[in-house]
Formats: sequence, C-alpha cells, structure tokens
Amino acid sequence: MSGRLPTQTYHEIDEERIDFEYLRNKLKLKQLEAKKSLSEKYPHVEKFFLEKGIELGKIREHSANVLGAGALTGALLLSPPMGAKSLPPPHEIIEKIKIAQAAQITPPQEILVATLTDHLPEKTRPLSRDEEKYLERVFNEIMGVPARATLEGEHLNTTYGIIGAEQHLRRYPGDTIGSHKPYLKEGMAPGLGAWGYFAKSKTELTFDLEEKEKWYAVVQTLYLPDWSRRQPHLKNWYKYRKVMIVNSKNGNAVIAAISDSGPAAWTGKHFGGSPEVMEYLGGPKYKKGPVIIFFVDDPENKVPLGPVEYNKVSLAGIPIERI
Amino acid sequence: MSKLYYDHLIVLDEVEAVIKRAAKTQEEKEELWKVVDETLHHRVMGKVLDKLPREHHEEFLDKFHASPHDVEELIRQEIGNLAYELLQDLKKKK
Repeated sequence: MSGRLPTQTYHEIDEERIDFEYLRNKLKLKQLEAKKSLSEKYPHVEKFFLEKGIELGKIREHSANVLGAGALTGALLLSPPMGAKSLPPPHEIIEKIKIAQAAQITPPQEILVATLTDHLPEKTRPLSRDEEKYLERVFNEIMGVPARATLEGEHLNTTYGIIGAEQHLRRYPGDTIGSHKPYLKEGMAPGLGAWGYFAKSKTELTFDLEEKEKWYAVVQTLYLPDWSRRQPHLKNWYKYRKVMIVNSKNGNAVIAAISDSGPAAWTGKHFGGSPEVMEYLGGPKYKKGPVIIFFVDDPENKVPLGPVEYNKVSLAGIPIERI
Repeated sequence: MSKLYYDHLIVLDEVEAVIKRAAKTQEEKEELWKVVDETLHHRVMGKVLDKLPREHHEEFLDKFHASPHDVEELIRQEIGNLAYELLQDLKKKK
C-alpha cells in the first residue's frame, strides 16, 4: 500500500513534471542542432527550399496546402486519389441497405462495416470529395445522422485518420478525477483543454457542459492551413462543434463535442477521444484505431451527444427493429 | 518490423505526455509540439538523403515538395530515434 488513493494522480504529475522553460530550451537546442547538421551536410537542400519559398521546418503547412489543392483538383477532374477503391453509385448501396433492412436479415451495423471495409482504403488518408459525399449518404441512410465532411465551408485536414485515447479535462477550477466516474484510471489531463475550463465554477457546470466533457473529441485545429489567419472566427467555430466519430472497424459511432486541439502530428494520430468516447468506440482496452470524423449538421441542436445506437433506429418507412 | 513500429509509437506517446505535463496552456503545448515537429523534418530529411546517392537528391526533393505526405516508413523510424534521444536527454537531467 502506497497510502495514495487512485484519484491522487497529482503525486505522479509532481514527480514527473519537467519545467516548461527547461523543456523548451532543450527541444529548441535539439531543433537548432538538427537544422545546422542538415544545412552543413546538404547545403543544396536549404537552397532548394529557399528557391521554392518554403521552410523545411514548416513543411506540414505546405503539405496541408498541397493536400487541399489535390482534393480540389481531384474533385474537379474526377480522378480518384492513390489507394482509392471504386465506389458504386450511392443509390445502389442505399437500395441494398433498404432491402437488407426490410428482409430483417442483416443488422445495420453489419451493413455499415461491410460498406466501409469495401470502400475505404486499408490505411488512413485524407478522403476525396467523392468518397466523403458517398459516406455522408451512407451515414444518413443507415444511422439517420446528418453528418458532413465539409460544414459551412470548414473541413478538417483529414476526415479518415487514427484516434488516440485522451484523459479527462478539468471542467472548472478545483475539478478532481473523483467526479469523473466511472473512468478513473485514465486520469486527468495536466493542462486545460484548448478552450479552457468548461465552467467558471462547479455551480455553473450545467448538464450540457458536463456532457460536453464526457463526450469530447480532439481535432488538429492547430494544423489547419488557415488557422492563424482566420482568428477568432475559427476558434469560435470549432469550440464544442459537434462531430460524429465512426470506428471504421466495428461501426460503433458516437457524437462528440470538440473540446481540445491535438494530438501533435508526430504521434501518428490525428484525433483524440475522451475516456467515454474511446470506451464506446472500442471497449475498455481500445487506445488507438482508425475512425471517420464528420461534422454534424445540427443547427437546432437536436442530435444528443453520446452513442449513436443505430441498431435500434429504422430506415425511413421500415418498421423499427430492435437488434 | 511491426514490433518496431509499435515500440516507436509508445515512445512517442511518452514524449507527448512529457510535453503535456510541462505545458500549462494550450499555447505552450502547441509551441513545444511545433519545435519537435520542425526538428523531425530536418532529421528525417537528413536520414533520407543519407540513404540516397547524391545524383538523386534533386529528384527526391522535387517529389517531396510535390507530395510531402508520402514518405512513411523512414519517417516512422526517424521519429522513433528522435523520441528515444529526447527521453534519454530528459532522464539525464534527473
């Protein structure tokens, strides 16, 4: 017995915490070393990027621009991106779904998984506009959720990527892990979410805000090519923006509110999910996996946060079947 | 091969965790992420060019410039190396 309660995660934080200034200097030094070493060994590389008008260190921004331009060109020229599988006409798959549903032989979740397996590339990558439009229709038909890859002109750098497990977020000053039951072992994030506390105090924490933390999503707003240029509009637009996260392997889906920015690009992950989100998407051991994330077009705030239990929802005109 | 791949990701998660603990605000967190990111780009580029004969460098740079999202396995390798070094450096401090 260490004499510490499982909720006392601050002991670990204090022991392992590294001073910000120290860490920044250390990382900065490493960065300068890497830059100097490359430029001494390969001076033509520096010259190359200088002529192109970009910095190697900022290549991610250039990449986002290239991908954005590629998606646009692809949509215009109707040329599928690398690794794209051919898509049947949406009406064809919708018909199949309706027939299977009417015959009550195949659960909708099974149909969705089969559709995603057939039409999504094995490895995650930004989807083409055609692929996204196709999925929008499939999600709408099978789950009844108005999900959009592009909403009000906004689009994430990728809508098909890897999600990773996140910790709980502090909802108000003084919030402790003990009030985030039942998922205590995930712990509390040491810092605040990108939009700070959800409420100024415990008394101001409404059910709605509680739900937002419970079902929260993390997306890489910081890597959006126009993130810095379009402030404060983008920060406000993304705050608590509703998204639908679909596990492409098992079809589990959840509606979440964007409440933090990340993860860092070099982790290989593209999105994050709260302990509750991750539990619903893949169970207690699920820490990472491929998902599709679309915005939810819900101007009247009618779609609740939490699991999308579409096995209990019928398609239009077909009697509800509980599976 | 796949074992190595997962090992690297675990090390990366640890670096991310160190940053999250050190940063008090979102801005601080993003600043540190970007420094690591920039380091990676230089390290990865150096690693790739080390393996390429000099006469192919321009061709690679052109391809990289045209689609920077395409060099995958080498990047994973180098990310793992850098993360390991960073963690070792930080451990030395203690």
